[in-house]
Parts: sequence; C-alpha cells; structure tokens
Amino acid sequence: VTGPRRLTFGALLHGSGGHIAGWRHPSSPPGGQLDLDHHIRIAHALERGTFDALFLADVVAIWGQDLDSLSRTARADHFEPLTLLAALSTVTERIGLVATATTTYNEPFHLARKFASLDHLSGGRAGWNVVTSVVPLEAGNFGRDTHLEHGSRYRRADEFVGVVRALWDSFADGAVIRDRAAGRYYDPAGLRPPHHEDEHFTVRGPLNISRPPQGHPVIFQAGSSETGKDFAARHGEVIFTAQTSLDGGQAFYADLKARAASHGRDPDQVLVWPVLAPFVASTEAEARARLDELQELVHDDVARRLVQDNIGDLDLSCYPLDGPVPEIGATNRSKSRQDLLLGLARRENLTIRQLALRFASASSVVGTPEAVADHIETWFRGRAADGFNVSFPYLPGSAEDFVDQVVPELRRRGLFRAEYEETTLRGHLGLRRPERGSPASAVATTEAGVR
Amino acid sequence: MTAAGTRPDRRRELHLNAFLKPPGEFLAAWRHPNAVADAGVNIRHVIELARTAERATFDAIFFADLVGVPFADQEVLSRVSVVNDSFEPTTLLAALATATSRIGLIATASTTYNEPYHLARTFASLDHISGGRAGWNLVTSLNDAEARNFGLDRHVDHELRYERAAEFFAVVTGLWDSFDDDAFGRDQKTGVYFDAAKLHRLDHRGKHFAVTGPLNIPRPPQGRPVIVQAGSSETGQALAASVADVVFTHHPDLAAAQAFYAELKARAAAAGRDPDHVVVLPGLSVVVGSTTAQAQEKLDRLTSLLDPRIALADLAYWLGGFDLTAFPLDGPLPDLPASNQSQSAQRVLVERARAGGLTIRQLAQQLARDTRTIVGTPESIADHIQEWFEARAADGFNVIFPYLPDTLDDFATLVVPELRRRGLFRSRYTGRTLRDHLGLPRPASRRAATEVAQLAPVRTRPAS
Repeated sequence: VTGPRRLTFGALLHGSGGHIAGWRHPSSPPGGQLDLDHHIRIAHALERGTFDALFLADVVAIWGQDLDSLSRTARADHFEPLTLLAALSTVTERIGLVATATTTYNEPFHLARKFASLDHLSGGRAGWNVVTSVVPLEAGNFGRDTHLEHGSRYRRADEFVGVVRALWDSFADGAVIRDRAAGRYYDPAGLRPPHHEDEHFTVRGPLNISRPPQGHPVIFQAGSSETGKDFAARHGEVIFTAQTSLDGGQAFYADLKARAASHGRDPDQVLVWPVLAPFVASTEAEARARLDELQELVHDDVARRLVQDNIGDLDLSCYPLDGPVPEIGATNRSKSRQDLLLGLARRENLTIRQLALRFASASSVVGTPEAVADHIETWFRGRAADGFNVSFPYLPGSAEDFVDQVVPELRRRGLFRAEYEETTLRGHLGLRRPERGSPASAVATTEAGVR
Repeated sequence: MTAAGTRPDRRRELHLNAFLKPPGEFLAAWRHPNAVADAGVNIRHVIELARTAERATFDAIFFADLVGVPFADQEVLSRVSVVNDSFEPTTLLAALATATSRIGLIATASTTYNEPYHLARTFASLDHISGGRAGWNLVTSLNDAEARNFGLDRHVDHELRYERAAEFFAVVTGLWDSFDDDAFGRDQKTGVYFDAAKLHRLDHRGKHFAVTGPLNIPRPPQGRPVIVQAGSSETGQALAASVADVVFTHHPDLAAAQAFYAELKARAAAAGRDPDHVVVLPGLSVVVGSTTAQAQEKLDRLTSLLDPRIALADLAYWLGGFDLTAFPLDGPLPDLPASNQSQSAQRVLVERARAGGLTIRQLAQQLARDTRTIVGTPESIADHIQEWFEARAADGFNVIFPYLPDTLDDFATLVVPELRRRGLFRSRYTGRTLRDHLGLPRPASRRAATEVAQLAPVRTRPAS
C-alpha cells in the first residue's frame, strides 16, 4: 500500500446528533435515536460523501445516572450497535461499519463471532472499536459493585484482543474448500483452534465461522492515557483522539506513530483520527449562529452533568453554575480527559457553565466550507491527523451539509477520493489484510509466537 | 372433547415457522447439487430464503445456534458445513430485518453462556429494528465444546442450567420493562426527552445475577419479543409452561403429540396462563413431490450423500456425547448414563432403539435416512398437517427443510396453496408484529402496572 497520503473519514453516528442538545434542533426528528429509516438516510448520505466508515459509540448502560439531566438528553435510548450495523449492512454498499464493544463486560468468543459475522454480512466492511469501559454504571449491569481498576482493565483487554484474533485465525485463508464431490468442507490441516489458557480467559475454539473477508475486522482504539496510548500503539489500526489544538494533535500523532514503530509496526499502518464537529454554512456568521443556537438549548442540569460526567464521580449540585469550577481529587475515570478539562478550566478561569459549553462544543470547527476544508487540510498536512472522526452535531442536517459542501471542496483539492476505489474497509483505509497462511507457515508463526 | 383448558369457541389458526439452516437441515445438505455450498455465510442466499418464506406468509423464520462445534473428530467435523461456518444469528436477523417487512425473526440464544443485560438489549434492539418481529428461543446450551469456549471444562449440569435459565429470564423480562411504553415524549420545545418517573431500575440480586439496570433502550414494540422454548425434558416443560409463547417439540406419532399438547396446555392453565397463548409447534421435516415415489427419490438422493462415519458421530452426539466406538456396531445400544445435553433427544433415540430392537448401526442408519422426514404429495402433506392440527396435536408446525432452497421452494409453492385452499392458513398477513401473527396479546409492563397499583391508594385526589 503505497502512493500519496489520502484523507480518510469516519462519521460518529449518534441518531440524535453528537451535540448534547442535538435532538432539540428544529430540523432533526426528535425520535431519531430509534428511527431506523433516519439512520439509513444518514448512511446513504455518508456513502454519497464516500466516507470510509460510520461508527457507533457505545456504553452498556444508560449514559448518566442523574435523572434530572439524563431525562433531558438522548442518552438513554440506543439501538444495540452490532444489530444496527448488521441491519445497515444490507442497505449500504461500501461504507465501513464500526462499533464499540467493551472487553470488560464481554466474552471474547461472542465478540469474535459477532464481528466476524458482520464482516461476512457486509463483504468485509466491519471494524471494532476496542474499549475497556469508563462508565461506572456499566459495572452494576454485570454483577460488579465497582468498575475494574484502570490497569487491570487494560491487562484483560490485552488478553481479550489476543484471543479474538486467534479465534478469527481458526481457519487458514483458503482452508474452507467446500469440496462437494469429496464431501470435505474444510481442509483439517488449515484448522488451528486457539486452545487459549491464560490469566483471564480459557477459550478452546475453533470459531464457528470461516475467516472474515478482511482477515481481521479493522481494530479501532481511543486510549489517551499512558496505558491507553501504549495499548493503541500495539493493537489499534485507527486511533481516535480528542485533541483540540494543532500543537496537541501533532504531539499526539508523533508520539503514537513512534510508539507503534517501537512495537515493530509500520507507522503508516496506524491512522490517527481526531474528532471534528463541523458547523458549516455559507458565511462564518451563519455557521457561528448554528453553534450558538444549539448551545442555548443546553439545560442547566445538563450543563452541570456534562462537567460531572467527564471528570468523575462527584457532586456539583451545591456549586453555582455560573461560579468557578471547584477543586477536584482523583477519580476512577478517564485520566486523560480529566486532565484536559481541568487544565482548560484553570487556564481560562471558566465557570462551570462555560466549561460545560466548551465541552459540548470541544471539537467544533465552525465556518464556511472552505474554512472547514482549510482546517482539515492544515491538520492533515501538518501531521496532526490522517483523517477525522466526524461527529455531526445534529442529524441529518449537518451530515448532509458536510457531504454536499465540504467533501466537494476536499475533492477539488485532491485530498479526498471522488468515488470508492475499494470494496472493504481495509481497502478504503489503505490497511493491509492480515494473512493467515498455509499450514506450513502457520506452524512457523506459532513457534515464533510462543517465545 | 377438547384438550384440557382450551376454548372450543375461538377460531384456531394454523401457524408455520420456517426452521432455516441455510444449506438445509440434513448434515450433508451442502453437498446437494442444487445447494449453495457457502450457504451459512452467503447473505444473498439467506435473504432469498427469508423472502420465499415471507411470500408464503410463514409466521416466522428461525435460526438455531450453538456456541461451539459439536464434533471433536476432524474426520467428522471437516465433512459438515453449518456448524463450522455460519452467521451469528442475532446479527443475521438484523440484516434480514431490513430485507423483509412482515415475517417474524427468531433466533436461539443461550442463557448458560450469556449475560442477561446483553441479551435483553440485543433482542430489544432487534424488536425495534424490525418493528416488532423479534423472537428469542431460550436454550440452556447443549455440549461440552460450548463450555470450553467460555472458560469451563464441561457443560453446566442440567438442573443448574435450568435454575440459571429461570433467573436469567426474570432479569431479561424485568429489563425490558425498564421504561414504560409512553416514557419517551421527546419534546423538543420543553427539552424533556423522557419522563423520569417512567424509568424503573431493576436492582436484581439473585443467586446467579446482580443487575442494576435500567436497560438503555425503550420497551420493545411487542412489549416482550416472543419467547420460544424447545426443551421437552421435565424441567424444560415446566419452564415452557410458565414462560413460553411458542413451544418447539418433536413426536414420533399423533398420539404422543396429542398427549404432549394436552399436558402442556394443562400445565400452562395451572400456571395461570391462557392455554391458547402457548403455541405448540411440533417439528415437521418434509420433502414434497408430485408423487410420493418422486418425493422419496429426492430424499434418497439426499441421504446417499451422507458419510456413514458422520451418521454415527451424529448419533453419539444426540445420545449425549458418549463415545460409541468402544461398542460393537452390530450390537445393541448399551445402557447409557443420563445425557447432560438434550435429555429429550436421548430419550427418543433410546426408545426407538429398544422398540425396534435396533443395533447401533441400524439406529445410525435410521438417523441418517432422516426417518422423521415426511415424503409425499402436496395433498398428503396437507392431510397430515390438517389431521394433527384438528386433533389438537399441534397449533401449527416448525417446518424443517432437509435441503435448501429446493424443499422450501416446493413447500411454499405446492403445500402452502393447498393449505390456503382448505382454509387452514392465511393468504396474507393481517398483523404487523410476530405476536399479531401468532395471535398472542402484547404483554403489559409489570413495572408500570405495579407502581400504579401501589400509588392508587395513597393518591388523595385524581390527577388533573
């Protein structure tokens, strides 16, 4: 996979929009979260814009336990991601289908199988965003009183990903021969069940589905802590990041590529995707007005919860919304995000509400199609990004605006494809297909792997 | 004289479920010249099957499932298809939901190797995606190979599995009632997305599970996806009578089927349920021809494709996974310990061997020839269906297709029209949901009802 660098794009598909008040936008259907036709319409718009992938974030719980704020957001009603992606697979042609699934509250056999199934259903368009879960509410749905500690979550995740890959490799490429005359469905020499036994999992295998069309569905990752970045550098093929400044983005990009290289990986086979929330209009002022319109729809309770949910388990209800952000100790939440938010609040002396609205619009890029394209080009050429995870603030409006206005501009600049050139997600992204060779080479790999 | 507890005044309707294994039920079906060799992972093929079944106005299509391969011997395993290479059923049903519009979508999922939160969520999601067409065949799993994919050495014991299943079911149905039906107002003007008073945490703490909830999806369109149960053991029947909307079963003859039917309906009535709301569907494997001889010829051609080693391995599997190679093939079936897999499958086979004085080889051959399969003309098969239906041995059938797509195509174009001519089967869908097709009411939320009842006495005046 050589040639000039090309931009790649994923779209965060949250039916009600990525902005916390997106569901209230007058142009959005209020029931978008569970409206399948709405999702299909967005998927079709994204395919028109030759997006590489659409992506479903996920939490295996409601997204917040404070009912006053939760009941004012579209964060308690979600399709289960793998069923939604499977439903979309038969009504789309080319776009990649990526879902979050947690290694903390799943079994590797089930996940390996579902993503392999999705890859077969979609003709090689599946991707898995590996997360270790950050929301405490999830623990309670799986028999645990508290969430697993940060370090042990990642140890489990490491082993989990290894098991999943081994399950996907149960059959060698070409081992499933389906020879009707001889009555032989697969060549036994090409079967290698994992027989895995380690700290967290004992999984014999084989997986009961042939090797995914992509070999392995594409692995996405979003870790930003030290442990998380290291995990991403070892396993991730597309890395999401919440970096918001060009400097920060460049530093993250360089760090991650260097880490990948230090693990013996080709850094070009690891793509970095910052989040981008576009507000596009024909004038800068009009684009700004679109953002302001949504920000004004954020209720006080929701603003308070935005800060709480992203910093950790703390109670802000006794602090005035328009007063300063109080001192906060360590929590069992994403450390990187906590540092980012608190640093910002201190530097700029923000009130709780101001911090909340900053967070609600953290990755926003506001402007004309040219200005948004400029931003994308600057980050891309400045090696702060190989592409972007686009979080559309309200749907379908902002996705259709982006596809109809920004994408053509990027194509004019020769930065983005005019039509799909490949059929699989790996193909779109320029990622090599992991081969699982003949029995002879498989033996060699196994021996190397043991050491 | 009618079966215990049923009401003779209500017009009964025949129900048909299409049990789809994409290459066909028969182990060697994938080798048939008209079969699609990669059927298990060929979505175009499976969509065609689903659409054929929908044109024939089947109530539902159904996909069985295992979470592990059933044979250890590579010489056997490498010669069968569907257990090695199939879509995962819930993702498959979701894909089919957008490719069909009316037919019910049922999948097997195990209570032994899943977490209730994931399963409740997946089937609720499927019910929303399909507009109320989802069904869950609750199983407790079958074999040791499945256990070994989930950190256990051997399969969980029969009684413990069913105990876990009962609690699992309570958690899943509790989670489905997390939100009242009208909880989500989604008022853009006021900014209130849902009514917090209509959200109910589960806070379940039992022997097997601790689940806080709530589920992160609104109540399913059907209230509950349709619950299917197929265990015919004593514990399985008890579970079916208390929770199942549909029961899959198998019987060698009319009398046995009638006895089971009467027993199950009586048990359901005893559990306080309307017996008409438990739909009993015996398995019916069919090959249709324009003459019986032609149908028999089709079946013979199919069964000749099966390697005898696979027949023997399949017999050993259904007897409980015991090694039969130590016993002489031409000797009698030895006494076996109770199966920890399917007790009812073992019982049926042992009874058949004892009754016919069959050797191991003969029993394996019978299984291989698939003697459960009925061969006949459209009229004779319709006669069979009508007889069982009217004699209250069945409310309909779980139709099994020995090889696909042929036997489904034949059933849809030859048998279904005959059933319609006789006024036994619908000629178009009248409802939208799977519950509608099956004549089942939509269950009310237990949480919403309970809380209204609790609130009522303390309310001092009517809400204005």
